[in-house]
Amino acid sequence: MKRKAKTKAARVPITWKEVKRQKFLIICSLIFVIYGIIFYYVPLGGWIMAFENYKPKTGLLGSKFVGLDKFKFLFSDATFIRVIRNTLAMGVLNLVATFVMAILFAILLNEIRFGFGKKLVQTISYMPHFLSWIIVTGILHDALSNSGIVNELLLNFGFVDRAVNFFANKSFFWPIVAFANVWKETGWNAIIYLAAITSIDPSLYEAAAIDGAGRWAKIKHITLPGIKPTIMILLLMNVGNVLNAGFEVQYLLGNGLVKRVSDTIDIYVLTWGISQNDYSLGTAAGIFKSLVAIILIVVANQIAKRSGEQRLF
Amino acid sequence: MKLRKLTALFMSAMMAATMMTGFTASADEGEYSDDEIVTYTMFATMAGSELNDDNEIMDIIAHKLGVRVKETWLTGQTAEEAIGTIIASGDYPDFIDGGDGSKTLYEQDVLVPWDDYLEKYPNLKEMYTDEEWDQFRQDDGHIYWANVFQNTYGEPKTTMHNDEAFWIQARVLEWAGYPEIKTLDQYFDLLESYYEANPTMEDGTPIIPYTVLCEDWKYYCIENAPQFLDGYPNDGSVIVDKTDPSAPKIVDYNTTETAVRYFKKLNEEYAKGMIDGEFATQTYDEYIAKLCTGTVLGLCDQWWDFGYDTNDSFKTQGLDLIGCNYVPLGLTIDEGMDNRWHTYGDTLNVASGVAVTTSCDDPDRAFKFLNDVLDQEIHDLRFWGVEGVDYLVDEDGMYYRTAEMRMQAADSNYQASHLCQYSYLPQWGGTSRDGKNAMMPSDQASEFLDGLAEPLRNCLEAYGAGGYPDMIGSVIEENPPWFPMWSFSNNLSTETPGGVAWTKMREVKQEWLPQVVMSDDFEGTWEQYMEAYNDVNPQDFLDEMQEELNRRAGIE
Amino acid sequence: MKRTKMKTKWPDKLFVVCNTLFMIAFVVITLYPVLNTVAISFNDGMDAVRGGIHLWPRKFVLKNYETVLHQQNMITGAYISVARTVIGTLLALVANALLAYVVSRKRFLFRSQLSLFWVITMYVNGGLIPVLLVYRSLGLTNSFWVYVIPGMISAFNMLVLRTYMEGLPESLAESAQIDGAGDFTIFSRIISPLCKPVYATVALFVAVGQWNSWFDAMIYNRMRSEYTTLQYELMKLLSSVMQQSGSANSMAAAGQGAATVTPVSVRAAATVVTMLPIICLYPFLQRYFVTGLTIGGVKE
Repeated sequence: MKRKAKTKAARVPITWKEVKRQKFLIICSLIFVIYGIIFYYVPLGGWIMAFENYKPKTGLLGSKFVGLDKFKFLFSDATFIRVIRNTLAMGVLNLVATFVMAILFAILLNEIRFGFGKKLVQTISYMPHFLSWIIVTGILHDALSNSGIVNELLLNFGFVDRAVNFFANKSFFWPIVAFANVWKETGWNAIIYLAAITSIDPSLYEAAAIDGAGRWAKIKHITLPGIKPTIMILLLMNVGNVLNAGFEVQYLLGNGLVKRVSDTIDIYVLTWGISQNDYSLGTAAGIFKSLVAIILIVVANQIAKRSGEQRLF
Repeated sequence: MKLRKLTALFMSAMMAATMMTGFTASADEGEYSDDEIVTYTMFATMAGSELNDDNEIMDIIAHKLGVRVKETWLTGQTAEEAIGTIIASGDYPDFIDGGDGSKTLYEQDVLVPWDDYLEKYPNLKEMYTDEEWDQFRQDDGHIYWANVFQNTYGEPKTTMHNDEAFWIQARVLEWAGYPEIKTLDQYFDLLESYYEANPTMEDGTPIIPYTVLCEDWKYYCIENAPQFLDGYPNDGSVIVDKTDPSAPKIVDYNTTETAVRYFKKLNEEYAKGMIDGEFATQTYDEYIAKLCTGTVLGLCDQWWDFGYDTNDSFKTQGLDLIGCNYVPLGLTIDEGMDNRWHTYGDTLNVASGVAVTTSCDDPDRAFKFLNDVLDQEIHDLRFWGVEGVDYLVDEDGMYYRTAEMRMQAADSNYQASHLCQYSYLPQWGGTSRDGKNAMMPSDQASEFLDGLAEPLRNCLEAYGAGGYPDMIGSVIEENPPWFPMWSFSNNLSTETPGGVAWTKMREVKQEWLPQVVMSDDFEGTWEQYMEAYNDVNPQDFLDEMQEELNRRAGIE
Repeated sequence: MKRTKMKTKWPDKLFVVCNTLFMIAFVVITLYPVLNTVAISFNDGMDAVRGGIHLWPRKFVLKNYETVLHQQNMITGAYISVARTVIGTLLALVANALLAYVVSRKRFLFRSQLSLFWVITMYVNGGLIPVLLVYRSLGLTNSFWVYVIPGMISAFNMLVLRTYMEGLPESLAESAQIDGAGDFTIFSRIISPLCKPVYATVALFVAVGQWNSWFDAMIYNRMRSEYTTLQYELMKLLSSVMQQSGSANSMAAAGQGAATVTPVSVRAAATVVTMLPIICLYPFLQRYFVTGLTIGGVKE
């Protein structure tokens, strides 16, 4: 509540005096805005492709205008609707899984008092980030194959009496993708939280210790609130990314049997756009994704604002 | 034999000497000095290896012809994307092979027409007949590129079957006393009886009688066999029925009687445990790993997709000595039918090839260079290498390589520093202008036979086959003018209903075919599959194919 | 913090045990793919195709590394990669930090608008060709600067920095302001020294991004081998090995018992080669965010 009051108080009326006082800030912003317009907003002119049958020969301005045909094509296709469902499902699942794991890992790592061990664990934890998806999925495929280690364990402990063909079963696909993401990115994603933890005033812990607080209590009352702004900001940013569930993992782990649940928007666009040289369709799908993302973050930002949390803008 | 060994010994001594003195000596003998040599850039829309800037044979060629070509290859993009970005960036190389993007380059007006230079340079002209050259003409009547592959000079020499077939390990045929295997049923009967007698390898690893790859676009392994089983060649996407030669007809091979019988057979064999339980979910890497262990008796695939890997691996493990190598069979659905698994003769692909761009400041010199690299001397340098170093010549004038030379030629560092194929510039297959040797080492009969292990050689001999094509025994005939139809279906786009149907058909098949094979109720699943299949309007696609077929066959 | 003074209660002990077990499990599971990659990188390519290699190579060779290190232009590539990593990281850090400072000022008039302006850039994308056309018209193609100028500001990094800066005690800037310090002084003298951990984080993100990128080298400097990058050279190598494996030539080599390379083995070696510098760089940055920085001291 205290923070909310503060933000309100900080609303400064635009006066000439205030502008003069903030001239450094304003000049900087201007430079950054010009930069942003050139490198991010001008290329958006390419969105015009979505409304025409783009051909390299005729270029952006000369290609045949087809209005909303490309969008109509997308949304009249039952496959596309299914693909949106898959993307959303995997996007949300990945978001939750990687998010929770990264925070959990950062907090638990922070609790390790043995300095060398802490550094070692952290260094190791972020290494898988540098492996390409093809390597990670290759190992995962090995581990989950009929003769792989997972089936071996399941058989030995008597959980199953026949090897499970994980990749033939539709219901396993989303969890496998989420696991792959957690496996690869937990250590890397935790770096931000570890940095945020450093900004917590150590005297708070000392005070808590004197009050007789245990580890859990300290985590709950000091560490978590301390990194909450970072958590909120990352959560808000990632909400806009749920439609970016990717294509590489799904492409590398998927097969004909699980196609119904494995295809994402990006794979759909690749199938239709690239292999058929249809730039316009890909652009249309891109615009759709952008619009959804922007709507999502604006809504999420409003919710955050209402509840007095950290917000994006 | 002794003499040959002696010459080899002598030559290797020579070779050592040349290597010590380096190649500067031979380079200086060229007609062009260093200052006169120009460097042209080239981009090919295919993956490939870059050569070192100081590559030795490149240097020899440069001193002889005055031109050096710096090649750049496709990396992580499709051909169309790469061409799209090159056009947007406005930086064109001197030579370009646009692949699927060739048409786009032409529309962009950045290619130099070949017409005048064809008259001027005989080697270029010689590549194709006038009729064939005419097929390269674009709508403005000019020729802008020439395909460099699948072009045979003189007698064809090929001993390989690079395309699709049902393959079987030589030891299975040997075990059965080299029987004639002509039909799909006979093939699986043989696999079954062998598997019953030999359920494991010697070391106890279980045998997998048959596997088939279904991954992504490589699902052709499972889906396109019906066209061949019916005796048709690889038109890729459809069968062309020419019972009435004046009106060839497009037939959908996915729904033929043969297709039903083929998938029913697979379904039965799967139920019997003859087909790999993981066939539907295996990745390409897993598939290759499986094949390389030698435990898989049979499969259906194109040779280039697996054959080099399995041959490599069998050799290193000694599995070739027990007959694990695969030989192709030309199966049909019923006995007494012709098969067309192997396509004799060249497939002319007029859709792409090497082109000179308007960025080249001296097109005449560029075309002269394209002409000169077809000279036999340069051609030998490109593909055989330097005589005495990369190959030897016996008393009959036949080229051959020693084991060390073959090994050296396979070394990627040596390839980058010494060998210079210019593999996307004009070239020939078939017989050399000397009338004896093959244009390419891989087509030289001695090179092929030297590499074969005992069981494989016995197998070929037992069937009286001189190479893989003889094993298949396809009909030898002239390719019809529309062949192959895939060159059209590959370029369909979503702008037409046929193109949309084509992509969707593929999706349906990828999803359903494994299920059809694995189903407990074949008829029921097949029906469901057909329902899903007909929902995506395959007729739209077939109609467009028919239209194109008529155009190619010259029918109004 | 003096531990001797504290009584360790049993839930805390349990916590430590569980936590240690968790960390061990975590390390095992994350280390496996890395060690597996290293093992494959030292294994003969053709032999690795058969599978079954876990933590130790079965047929030890150095051929994969030879192949990687022999790739043409490797030196130029490494040089450009280092240059773009250093210059790119410095530029990005300064630019993002300055922007983050501006939007973290609570009094700033256009704070929310400027944030929104940048947040949007995270979710929109004009596409490859329009971007290329813009860079070309700015004269950035066929130059080194295309690596460091366009991607300089990223909304993600800016927001991470902003969040951290907003978490700092406001009193610091206020008291400096009263002392007559301008915004630039506050940014460079007061805020930045306190932001070391988050600067290290962002520097790491940018540096890794710069070090790993290859697509821009191909798109914008396709014909200019003097601006090639290490990763682009490795990508080229990989795609060429992929194309070659399974040629009649490599068959001959394997037949003679020579060491062979395959896409899998070369990819493993390339991964190790590119990972190493980052792992070496890491300890220098790590001390900023593992040991924990005491900023409480500044508060008094």
